[in-house]
Amino acid sequence: MLPYVIRRCLLLILVLIGVSVLVFGILMTFSPERRAAAYVTSPQQAKDIPKIIQQYGLDDPFYVQYFRWIREIFRGNLGWSLVAARPVGEAFWRYFPVTLEMNCFAAPLVIFCGIWLGSISGIHRDTWVDHVTRIFAIIGWSLPTFLFALVLLMVFYGYFNLFSPGILGDAYSMFIIDQPGQFVRYTGMYTVDGLLNGRPDITLDALRHLVLPVMTYVIVVVALNMRIMRSGIIEELAKDYVITARAKGADKHTVNVKHARRNALLPVITISGQLVALSMEGSISVEVVFNRQGIGWWLAESATQLDMPVLMCICLFMGVVFVVTNLVVDILYATIDPRIRLN
Amino acid sequence: MRALLFILPIVLALFGPVGHAGAEVKKPDTFTRATASTVKSLDPASAYDMASMQKVENVYEKLIVFDGERLDRFLPALASEVPSLENGGISADGKTYIFKLRPGIKFQEGGDLTASDVEYSIERMLVMDQSGGPAWMLLEAVTGDSSTRDKENRIRPGIFERIMNAVETDGDRVIFKLPQPYPPFMGLMAKSWASVVDKEWVVAKGGWDGTLATAATFNKPDPGTETLFKTMNGTGPYRMAAWEPSVQFVFKRNEQYWGTKPALEYAVYKIASEWSTRKLMLQTGDADSVQVDDQYVAEAMAIEGVKHYKLPMLAVSIAMFCQKIDPTGNPYIGSGKLDGHGIPPDFFSDINVRKAFSHAFDRSVYAEEILRGISTIPTNPIVPGLPYATEAPVYEFSPEKAAAFMQKAWGGQVWEKGFKMTILHNAGNSLREGAARVFADNIMALNPKFIVEVADMSWRDYLTAYRQYRFPMWMNSWVADYPDPHNFAQPLMSSDGSCSKYMGAVIPEIDELVRQGIVTIDPAKRAGIYKQLAHLWYEHALGVPIYQSTEMRFYRDWVQGVVANPLDAGDTEWIHRLSKH
Repeated sequence: MLPYVIRRCLLLILVLIGVSVLVFGILMTFSPERRAAAYVTSPQQAKDIPKIIQQYGLDDPFYVQYFRWIREIFRGNLGWSLVAARPVGEAFWRYFPVTLEMNCFAAPLVIFCGIWLGSISGIHRDTWVDHVTRIFAIIGWSLPTFLFALVLLMVFYGYFNLFSPGILGDAYSMFIIDQPGQFVRYTGMYTVDGLLNGRPDITLDALRHLVLPVMTYVIVVVALNMRIMRSGIIEELAKDYVITARAKGADKHTVNVKHARRNALLPVITISGQLVALSMEGSISVEVVFNRQGIGWWLAESATQLDMPVLMCICLFMGVVFVVTNLVVDILYATIDPRIRLN
Repeated sequence: MRALLFILPIVLALFGPVGHAGAEVKKPDTFTRATASTVKSLDPASAYDMASMQKVENVYEKLIVFDGERLDRFLPALASEVPSLENGGISADGKTYIFKLRPGIKFQEGGDLTASDVEYSIERMLVMDQSGGPAWMLLEAVTGDSSTRDKENRIRPGIFERIMNAVETDGDRVIFKLPQPYPPFMGLMAKSWASVVDKEWVVAKGGWDGTLATAATFNKPDPGTETLFKTMNGTGPYRMAAWEPSVQFVFKRNEQYWGTKPALEYAVYKIASEWSTRKLMLQTGDADSVQVDDQYVAEAMAIEGVKHYKLPMLAVSIAMFCQKIDPTGNPYIGSGKLDGHGIPPDFFSDINVRKAFSHAFDRSVYAEEILRGISTIPTNPIVPGLPYATEAPVYEFSPEKAAAFMQKAWGGQVWEKGFKMTILHNAGNSLREGAARVFADNIMALNPKFIVEVADMSWRDYLTAYRQYRFPMWMNSWVADYPDPHNFAQPLMSSDGSCSKYMGAVIPEIDELVRQGIVTIDPAKRAGIYKQLAHLWYEHALGVPIYQSTEMRFYRDWVQGVVANPLDAGDTEWIHRLSKH
């Protein structure tokens, strides 16, 4: 397996070069004036656009700008984010934990609920349980995330005055500001940092702020996993080995869970891997509506403002995430199905 | 399902009581505003967006400030009195300004305020002259040049010497020597870029040491490299408690403040990009004030327990005609010829076309249906609220007159052959879109051969494109930097103005009047100059002013002390005046 992992890691370098050239090339299709305009916030500043172009060499040839960017990357300088008003690297490590924290709660729920509901639906095919879960899946999948997030916010925050938007409540936020020495941001995830600082109340407050974002994300995304799992279970239950197992007297639970579900898991793993990878980009709608400044929020703001260093950084990051996720999925394949060999 | 029904009430009970939107004052010692505007820099020499300037203005102080809602009167802040001709603070020739410093003021980090701090602060801002920054205005006043660099971005020889000679100290007095009279000077000194920093503290932080030898090193800093980018130490009523860029900014009361102690201990500016989220924060009382964009004003007005202020701004939007359009692959002028399928690049150089378009703008319908009685329509670019603003004649809506001018335009060819073009506006601005549609509909109603389309573009693309002379007609805007007609006449009317330049019209008479306006100190003469300019705008039909913005500001009804100064747009807020009860 090790040579396989090494090969994939080497492939990662090629992927990153390809992604960077592609994205840089796409961004270069914007005129130097348009890219310089990213530095401008009012009509008053527009007269400085020619100077900004010259200052940052925005009218240099593509390869000059690309290699200048690469050189800076190797110096550890990913550039300056106009949106985040700080270096891209620093901003990344500020926003990433926010997205990661949500995914740490959402991803297991998406996978677990998807498998569980899909299994129930498949096993009870054409019964009311199946119909209910399928309707649930269709509604969830077809709901615009943005709209669903807004509805949840209006009901639970606007009406019940529960689960306010943001990452942390005002009281705790002010406590951290007023007593900077008493709370250390070890991970940037308040649910974890609260525990590490011996403040479970902060963890609980952070959890309260995660309820709606996680609920939104899970309900919208779980449908896909569920439908894949359902199809897999139905297909497996119709196979000869299941009939044989039943003929041999295996009980229903053993047949469904140990035989059929295990084999139906392979496509679910693939999809789950893709979903987890995608979620690392942050769910833009969820982060914007629930006012969580994570990678998704940053990406949305940067895309609208053409914050080039940020777009490059996030594209590269996503390249890494997808290659690593595919590697993990491949390893899981081999673990679940011993017939698969990674060579 | 039964399990779900069982779990839900437990979860709700765990996470807090069920209740409707709160009507009680929440966090009585904290003012909270939810906004979409992120802070770009906390350095007074760089801050040039409303969100950043507001942070600077509540932590740092200037020598003088505007007197409440007034733009023509000042109050002393760090200065002990406002310079005037009467008290000898302003010389008779209008070239020298003397500010006497208020004694005994300390910076938040403990340093004493001295006259040399003031000199250093102004010189530092001018020396830095960040690209896209605010230095150009004071540079123009104290050196006669609006930039430390030439068109090739090279430092102008002798510019730093001129800066350093222009600001001097004498004991507790700071003296400004201008190369020529500059009437808006006092207004410029009342804005955030004239904030005073502690020289010793800045130097200790690695900032400019105040010498000529090192000035060039600190010129045009990259964003984020300014010494005071993320640190603050002013003399103002609030200090910075925390800044998490793009998340929140927290002010804490400066307990050692020399002036009246502010009522509120904290002020929190939270970033919430989505309007619905901001609206709910206002509704629940978690925010005392939120940013409300034009399209959401009606929604905000319907919220219970919320009051609003109408704030007429020193800002104008104008429909502009370009007289030398770039035809290269330009989709907005059709065929590029007067053949019924496009317009020639100099289509608007014929005044008959401009007058026809001007007569096609139905001001009353626009004011009623699009502006909904909130914003107003000025007659010329020197808008009401500015000193010397005057009413000028306007081209009243008249399809008959519009048709008559079109029949005369281009020797009758326009009427005979027809034309096709596009009016552009920036995406998301419903007021400008509305104006564009009023023009388009009324022009097309004149003659079936006239085709006028309306298109939008993201603001930054728009900004880039009109600067390349791509648009035949577009909506442009200007927001005051300082309350003087020159700040509007120059950018909106002169042939090298930062907006009017792209109309491609050179009218020497206007250029000369704009130049005279800024060097004339006699109020009566200035009034005459700006009156003439307003009338020339009408005579030449250079463009059509479509609205003077009125900003609607929304607060929970427990917030008191809001003062509406027409320069205080966006996030601008004087927190020390606010209280909650």
